[in-house]
Amino acid sequence: MAKRSIIQIKDLKKVYDLGAFKVQALKGLNFDIEEGSYTAIMGPSGSGKSTLLNILGCLDRPSSGAYILGDDDVAHMDDKELSGVRGSRIGFIFQSYNLIQQLNVVENIHVPLFYQGKDISDHYDHCVKLAEKVGLADRLDHRPMQLSGGQQQRVAVARSLVNEPLMLLADEPTGNLDSSTEQEILDILDELHGEGRTLVIVTHDDAVAERAERVIHLKDGLVDQDIRKGAAKAVAN
Amino acid sequence: MLGMIIGVWAVIVLVAIGEGASHDAQEAIKALGAQNVIIRSVKPMSDKVQLQGSDMEWETIYGLKNSDASRISKTVPGVIKVLPVLTQRKNITHGKRDVDCQLIGTYPYYPQFTQSKMVAGTFLNEIEEARKENSCVLTLELAEKLFAGHNPLMEKVVIRGFESAQVFRVKGIIQERVEGAKLPQQKDALGRTISANVFIPLSTFKALFGIKNIDRSVGSLSVERVELSEIRVEFGSADEVMEALPLLREALDKTRRGKVDYEIQVPINELNALKAQKARDTRMLMYIACISLLVGGIGIMNIMLATVTERTQEIGVRRAMGATQKDITVQFLIETLILCLLGGSIGVCGGWGFAWVRHHLLHTTTIVTEWSVLAAFGLSVTVGLVFGLYPARRAALLDPIEALRHA
Repeated sequence: MAKRSIIQIKDLKKVYDLGAFKVQALKGLNFDIEEGSYTAIMGPSGSGKSTLLNILGCLDRPSSGAYILGDDDVAHMDDKELSGVRGSRIGFIFQSYNLIQQLNVVENIHVPLFYQGKDISDHYDHCVKLAEKVGLADRLDHRPMQLSGGQQQRVAVARSLVNEPLMLLADEPTGNLDSSTEQEILDILDELHGEGRTLVIVTHDDAVAERAERVIHLKDGLVDQDIRKGAAKAVAN
Repeated sequence: MLGMIIGVWAVIVLVAIGEGASHDAQEAIKALGAQNVIIRSVKPMSDKVQLQGSDMEWETIYGLKNSDASRISKTVPGVIKVLPVLTQRKNITHGKRDVDCQLIGTYPYYPQFTQSKMVAGTFLNEIEEARKENSCVLTLELAEKLFAGHNPLMEKVVIRGFESAQVFRVKGIIQERVEGAKLPQQKDALGRTISANVFIPLSTFKALFGIKNIDRSVGSLSVERVELSEIRVEFGSADEVMEALPLLREALDKTRRGKVDYEIQVPINELNALKAQKARDTRMLMYIACISLLVGGIGIMNIMLATVTERTQEIGVRRAMGATQKDITVQFLIETLILCLLGGSIGVCGGWGFAWVRHHLLHTTTIVTEWSVLAAFGLSVTVGLVFGLYPARRAALLDPIEALRHA
């Protein structure tokens, strides 16, 4: 059964104009990401990994090419439209958790909804449910400072789910965690994948990439390897 | 923040002090009556006549006369009543107590004319005026000083001038409305000015003390002959005052051959001048307030710029979570506004407190006006909006990627 592609990248290029010379960070990428898939994007530094992450996260615009997220080409949207897309279709998970210090757990989870004009009182139960899902039922009114790194990252995961995004975009989600906490977070991500969510993880950690069913290797701004483990397994079977 | 507090505080306090001062002055002028005109005798610059036989004794004849009073009431239109007043400095004693006072000879309708009220007894009447009786009325402050507690009514007092001493019977106690320019002004224990006035019938005054006022100063003796110290003229309304003023001047100048020995005080004019002065003062205060709030605003802007830098990462996160540039602008503007309103509130409370202390504990009229509080709040909101805009825009225009990477 062919699954629907929720992301289509076509001849995506990004050029940084540094005045004296131009740097081609992405030199024409092509790939699709299907709904419900679990993809890891890897590559050495300078491979264009971060640039791709920024573009996938709608934080930056490509110089040319198409980036179709859902049904729309977001490559040429203006800042306001991109903000809307970020708020409604993408769930971010960052390496350094990036919670808002002055808000408690539930309020942090609610933030993406706030920017869609949804009041916390109407969605309080939803936010609490997500906190329970990541195992923080007894920490609802704690502030980020009072939580461990693993707990903070769980809050971030719950936050990324609150707006029912098309895709979860994680940037080195376990980069700041010790190995046992790392396993916990990766287990949660596996669980989300099991529920049919689409995950894209940017990482340089093989252990993280191990869990994904597909790994895209970047090198010098181009796709170097695109390995689908599922397919390999299927062939093996 | 501190600049903000001080700015708002200054607006409230300065306006309250100004308001209090002008309130006092207005009360004093109102006490004279807006429909009244007061003509006072003024000693001309050089009009001394040397007395025979002595180079140390001088006599000056000047001032208003009875004929002036009657001419005014006959010839000037709109005049309802004319009240002549003759005043000399004397000394009043009762038992062993003695006080410097101002002896005032006037007509029985003085209290109505000056809106003074009787505290005890009655004021002088027509019969006493006609019979030149030795009756007197004391001001409340003077009575307290002279009788120290016991009832002064029907008691006898001695009024001593340079040449004669006379016994008077106290028949009433009067409380005058605040009036600025009367002598002698003595301070009581609390620092308030007391008015030590003694009222007697004008006819009695002239019969017993005459119109010669003798003043002894450093070795020389100067004698002044002043028939009336003051003529108070009451008109039907404040408007008639303005119309009648030239005619009043004409009536007075007719017999004077260019000699200027009187001055006309027009309370309504002074009231208007005072109002104009107040408008100027208020504008001045607003300039001062604007400057201090400008300084406060710059302070607030600095705080907010520091906050934006400090919270760059948070801004990046919010942007990633879907916040538009407008959302970020609004957020920081609101934060600046809250800061300003907080400063404003502290300033208002401080100003109010200061005004209260000044009014109730220091007994200086201080009036906090509603508009100054509103203006202070309005200004802090304006300052917040104006000076918050730049930091807020700066926060909104941050590149989300850069902001997220900011540690």
